[in-house]
This record gives sequence, structure tokens and C-alpha cells, in this order.
Amino acid sequence: MLAGMNAAYALLDDPQRWAAFSLPARHHLATDTKPGAHAWQSQVVVQGMHCAACALNVEAALSAVPGVKQVTVNGATHRAQITWSADEVRPSAWMQALVNAGYQALPAQDFMARDAGQTEMRQQLWRWLVAGFCMMQVMMYAWPAYVSAPGEIAPNMLDLLRWASWVLSLPVMFFSADVFTAAAWRDLKQGRISMDLPVALGIWVTFIVSSAAVFEPNGLLGDQVYFDSLTMFVFFLLTGRWLQSRLRERTAGALEALINQLPQTVQRFHHNGRLETVGVHQLKPGDVLQICPGEVIAADGEVVKGHTWVEEALLTGESAPLLRKTGDNLLAGSHNLRETIEMRVDKIGESTRYAAIVSLMQSASLHKPRLAWLADRLAKPFLGTVLLAAGLSALLAWPTSPGQALMVAVAVLIVTCPCALSLATPAAMLAAAGRLARQGVLLRDVQSLETMSQVKAVVFDKTGTLTKDKMQLQAMFTPEGSWSAHQQSDIQANTSFLLAAQLTKHSSHPYARAVLGLLDESLPALPLEDVQEHVGQGLSARLRSPDGLQTKGLRLGSLAFCQSWPECGSVPHQAMGAQVHLCDESGWLASFAFEETVRDDAVSSVDRLRALGMAVYVMSGDKPDAVERVRAVLRLPADQVFAACSPQDKLFHLKALQAKGLQVAMVGDGFNDMPVLAGAHVSFAFGQAVPLAQAKADVVVQGQQLQAVADTFALAQRTQTVVHQNLMWAALYNAVCVPLAFFGYLPPWLAGLGMAASSLWVVLNAMRLTLPPKPQALAATQA
Amino acid sequence: MDILYLLIPLSVVLVLLVLLALYWAINQGQFEALEAEGERILRSD
Repeated sequence: MLAGMNAAYALLDDPQRWAAFSLPARHHLATDTKPGAHAWQSQVVVQGMHCAACALNVEAALSAVPGVKQVTVNGATHRAQITWSADEVRPSAWMQALVNAGYQALPAQDFMARDAGQTEMRQQLWRWLVAGFCMMQVMMYAWPAYVSAPGEIAPNMLDLLRWASWVLSLPVMFFSADVFTAAAWRDLKQGRISMDLPVALGIWVTFIVSSAAVFEPNGLLGDQVYFDSLTMFVFFLLTGRWLQSRLRERTAGALEALINQLPQTVQRFHHNGRLETVGVHQLKPGDVLQICPGEVIAADGEVVKGHTWVEEALLTGESAPLLRKTGDNLLAGSHNLRETIEMRVDKIGESTRYAAIVSLMQSASLHKPRLAWLADRLAKPFLGTVLLAAGLSALLAWPTSPGQALMVAVAVLIVTCPCALSLATPAAMLAAAGRLARQGVLLRDVQSLETMSQVKAVVFDKTGTLTKDKMQLQAMFTPEGSWSAHQQSDIQANTSFLLAAQLTKHSSHPYARAVLGLLDESLPALPLEDVQEHVGQGLSARLRSPDGLQTKGLRLGSLAFCQSWPECGSVPHQAMGAQVHLCDESGWLASFAFEETVRDDAVSSVDRLRALGMAVYVMSGDKPDAVERVRAVLRLPADQVFAACSPQDKLFHLKALQAKGLQVAMVGDGFNDMPVLAGAHVSFAFGQAVPLAQAKADVVVQGQQLQAVADTFALAQRTQTVVHQNLMWAALYNAVCVPLAFFGYLPPWLAGLGMAASSLWVVLNAMRLTLPPKPQALAATQA
Repeated sequence: MDILYLLIPLSVVLVLLVLLALYWAINQGQFEALEAEGERILRSD
């Protein structure tokens, strides 16, 4: 098996192979003084990572390999980015280093990762079900001993029940709980402590003591068995892990789809005119490619022959197919839907818009601020105290009898089995995540709830988040008069409106959609010719006169666009927001004013967030006056609103907020928001968010309810309260039981009961989160 | 009550058999795409 693994890794040493999951890294080795060092940056999927601390292990293991320059590991997505020098090391060497450290690595962008993900999910489900079924049966065997009076059951019958419990505990201990044992062992070998270590210690001590009781009831370790508490505890822990990875699976799939989106090979025209199949990495700007229907476009470029419809949904969120004719631009990552076309490559690989955003996004998510999880922070002092207490108690009891000393030490270890402590956080977070999922709010990583409860600033994108996606016609002005949007029938009958609406059929711009939406579709089309869309400016066309003899020019678009045409003349100024103007050769015909509609629940949601103690910011790529209107509606201070931001600007403002020590959440929906979503402490993809943004956000809010964002924060704060209560309970439980066990006053059956009760108590307390909040609490947050 | 000497070991075996059946089901992919099976009946084809 191991030899086979090595052979598989050795295959990756072929530069052709490693190019499938690596990119040449030029600018990443600024510290490398040796010129011409061939540096590569590889993405791999790491398996076997269960906690945030594992990311550090993986980093350490990889960094130790000579020739590996830089390693960044993302614990949430199980991905590692490795920068290495091809002059000094080969991929098989650092892959092997990961295997030696106890992890499996697979090249990302490889179909193997998908397969492996499925196997891991099945394995996890199997572990969980084994623990579950064995637990149920063990509890049935335990039941008679709890309810019968002493002596009521024949001793050999009790022995039989214990023996049966022991048999069914074996698969739980050696198979299901193996994840904890293995993780604890790994920690131990590397001299680190996480929550897995006290957990493994607790369950193994309990198991050994119980086994000894089955086979040697008169031995040193007493005659008490704890198989029921033991299996229940393992089952609870595995339930938490299973649910957690289900959540991750549900939202991580889209990112995998994206990374595998670009084709590996393309059909390129050789200079002799024949088609040849080449790898994407061999493409150069200027190459001419043939793209068949159903294929993904591999590079940014221009159509040189033919026309087709493409889908850019993944990139821009625009779900309708778009027509692309000769001379039109194509984006890498979009789908060719209908016809075979030929395209000329303009930009490839890292310089495409697709790659630029993907890489900005990936690096921002790798450099996300890392928080230490409460439970892991507690692990070290907890384990230290427990071991110290067990050792001391044994030492104190030693003069009495060695057997008694051992008994007391074991009792201390059993009571302190960190059931409540290790379940406190996951139980509460999973309960909250389940409740959110039913409201259409999906969490990618439940731990983001902990971060969310500390958030002090929420940044909203404007378009599509605070406002509805669509623009609305607010008013129409013509030389004859003006109408507001309420006088819909008057507008619809106006000839200038009809002209404009017919023109807008040729554009997918939001303003055009707003005008077109009012058009009565049953009217015959006007004889428009030579319609051209000038990107970012407007439309121009010629209208044939009814007799068919002459044509006259028309323009519909921005003020600058119309006035750049001398025939248009002057356009009267209207004190309104965004406007589009229509003119023909004889002058100005009409102006259309548009407004963005702020969502109905935007004001109440923002108010509620402020009531929860958060500052609300708006960062938008839109023009200052459009942003100002939204600011006025939401009653935000002017210094909390940023207009005309590029994606880099947004990231810059976000970093500035974070530099002030604030935990920042970002709510956005678009392609442009992705870098800033990835850089925020917590990110929300809202509403009709593009799939890419959804793939990277910590929280995906489905539906159009902005209130759900406020609900999520409120629930995160409640969750944190419950986590603290649970931890307090765990501390209290230990504070009471440890001294009792220490002095030998805790009978073994009570220790077992306490252990089971403490697990149940934290789980039930967490379940409160699935209930709706009390009415007065809701009223308080809304006030 | 002597029958319990048979029934208890039998219950252990039964649990192991159930687990075996589950193992088969999991590796057949029976627990993946749970919603898809429910939706299939709604599709026209």
C-alpha cells in the first residue's frame, strides 16, 4: 500500500503533471536571492485535518522539507498552498512529508480530490453509525442494572450483560473513537495539546477500568462498568463532527466546481491551418482556438468567426444567455452554449479577469485572521490540572494501599472525562446552525458563529444587498410634460417612451431592463436598424421612416453620450438621480429618471444590528449620489459610507477597520465583493449572490430577507451565551466532583451518572437555541 | 430465564448484522443525494 502511494506521488514529479495543480511563482519569492530559481506554487487538498490546530501541524511538516519556501494552510477548506523551488525539491518529497506527519495530500484541481472526499464522508458516516447502534444496544444492556434492586438479578446474568456491553464497546473504541486516539497520539508525538488528548485519555481510562471490571471484578480497578456513558459520549462527539463536515460539504462543493471549471486542453489552430490539441498552459496571446458548444472558454479573448450564446453566470451572476458576435469579448470560465466559434486569445492564465479574482479571493481567504477556539485554549490547563489531581490523589492514598491509590486516581480521571467541556461548544453551535439552516441561512463553518458573536462592525455592499437588484423608472420628462412612475398608462402610451423601449430590447443594462419592463409586448416592433450598444454609454440606432425611404439617427444613453452628438442639442437638467436621455436628429425627446429601491426590511435590519451593538458601514462601487440616497434612508453617519470603491478599495477600507481592532463582517452579493468577502472575519453572501461569492462566504443567506442577517447575529450572540453557560457548567461539575473523587467519597456509579448527566445537560442546554427567542428578548433587540 | 443466555448473545450478533447491512448501504451510496430520490418522482421523465 505504502509503496503504491509512493509510486503515485513519484508520478507527480513529471513537470507536465505538477503543472496541473501548480502555477509558476515569480513574484512570490522576493526573499530568494538566487536568480532563475524555478519556483512553483501548488495547491493541495489535505485530508485528516479535524481542527484548527491541525493547520499548524501541516504547516510545520511542509516547512521542514528543504526547498519548500512558503506554506499557507486553510483549516476550513482543507487546502494548502505550497511554494517550492523545482531546483531543490520535487512534489513527491513534500507529499511524503505530509504522509509522515499523519496526513494525506492530494493535488487540488484533480478529480481524485472529489473521489477522496466521498470516501472520507462515507467513512465518517460509518464511524458515526457504528457508534450510534452500539450505544443503543449497550444502553439496553445497562438498563436492568439501573432499575433493579441489589440481588434482584442473578450475578451470572449481570456478568452476561456486562460481557455483551463489552463486546459492543469494542467497535466503538477501536473503530469509531479511533479518530480521537489517532489525533491525540499525533499531538503527543509532536508535544502539543489539543482537546483530543484529554478526550482520548478519558475514554481509554474509562474503557480499561470497565474492561477490568468485566473480567476481574475483584481486581484492583473495582467492579463498576461505564460502557453506556462511554459509548454515548463517543456518539455525541462523532455526531458533532459529522454534522460539521456535512455543513462544510454542502457549501464547499461550489468552490471545487469553480477550480475545475477551466478545461485542461483546448483545440488550437496550428499556423498551417490544422487543429491541434494543446494544454491550456501552452496557450499564448494571439492563438486562435476553436470552441465547440458545451465547452468552457479557457482564456479571455475576442470572437473572430461565428456567433454564439454564452453563459457567464458563474462570473457575473447574469443568468440569461448572452449573444456574442464577431468582435465581442469572451471571458475565461464562461460556457459556450450554442454554436462552434473561433476565438483569438488576448489574455491567458493569471492575467484573465477570472484568474485575477480567483487568486485574490484565495489568498485573502488564506490570510483570514485566525482565532484560537475556546475549547482548545482550555485543553492545556485542563489536562494539566486533571493529571496533577489524579497523581496527587494517588500519592496521598498510596500509604493506605497501592490498590486504593490506583482506584482513587482512576475515579478522578473518570469524573473529569471532559464530556461537558468538549461538547459545550460544538453542541451549541450545531444547534444554532441547524436552526439557521431551516431559515435558509447556511453556515459553511459552524465556528464562524463564535467569530460572529464578537463582530462589532457590519459592512454592507449596496447594490443587490441593501437595495433590490432591479432599477425602477421613477419619472419621465419630455418637452410636452413630465410623468411620475405612478402614471404608468400615460407613460406607456407616449411615443418617445415606445421608441426608447423598443431600443432597450437590444441591451441588458439594468436601466434598459427597467424601461423595457413597462413596454406592452403586444405592440408591433418599430423598424430600427443598425442598433449598436456602446458599452457604459448607451445605444445608437437608425429608425426607418413609415414610407421606408429615409432613416434618422437615434441615441439613448447617458448625458455625455447624447451631447457628444451635435444633433442632440441641449438637454434640460432634472434634479433627479440616475438618468438616461433619448434624442434624435432634431433634438432632445425625453429623459428617464431611475431609482434604486431600498429593500423593505433594510431600515429595520440595520436598526436591529445597531441595537445589537454593531456599527453599520456601507461600501459600494456605485456613484456617490446613489450611495448618499441609501445613506439618508438608513440614517447612517457620513463617515461610515464609502462610495465609488473598486474591489481593492473595499479591501483597503476593510483592513483599515480591522486594524482598529474591530471584528468585521461583510455582507455582499457580487463578483466584485469577493476579495473583501474573503478578507472579512465573517462573510455573508446574500440573496442572488453569484455562485463564486457563495462558494467563499462563511454564511450564505438564501432568499431576499435582509432581516435574516440580523437574525443570524442575534442568534450568534445567544449561542455564545449558551457556550459560556455550558463551559461554566463543565467547570462547576469538575469543581464539585474532583474534590469528592480526590478524597475517595464519590462512589463509582455516581461518577458514571455524573459523566452521562453532564454530557446530556450541555446537549439539552444547546437545544434551547433551536427554539424561537422569547418575545420580550425579540422586542428588546428591535427597540 | 435461561433463554436469556441465548437471547443476549443473539442480540449482540443481531447488532453486528445490522451494522454489516449499514456498511453495505453506505458504500452503495444509499445515503448520498438523499433529496434527489424524493425529487425524482416529481420529474416528468
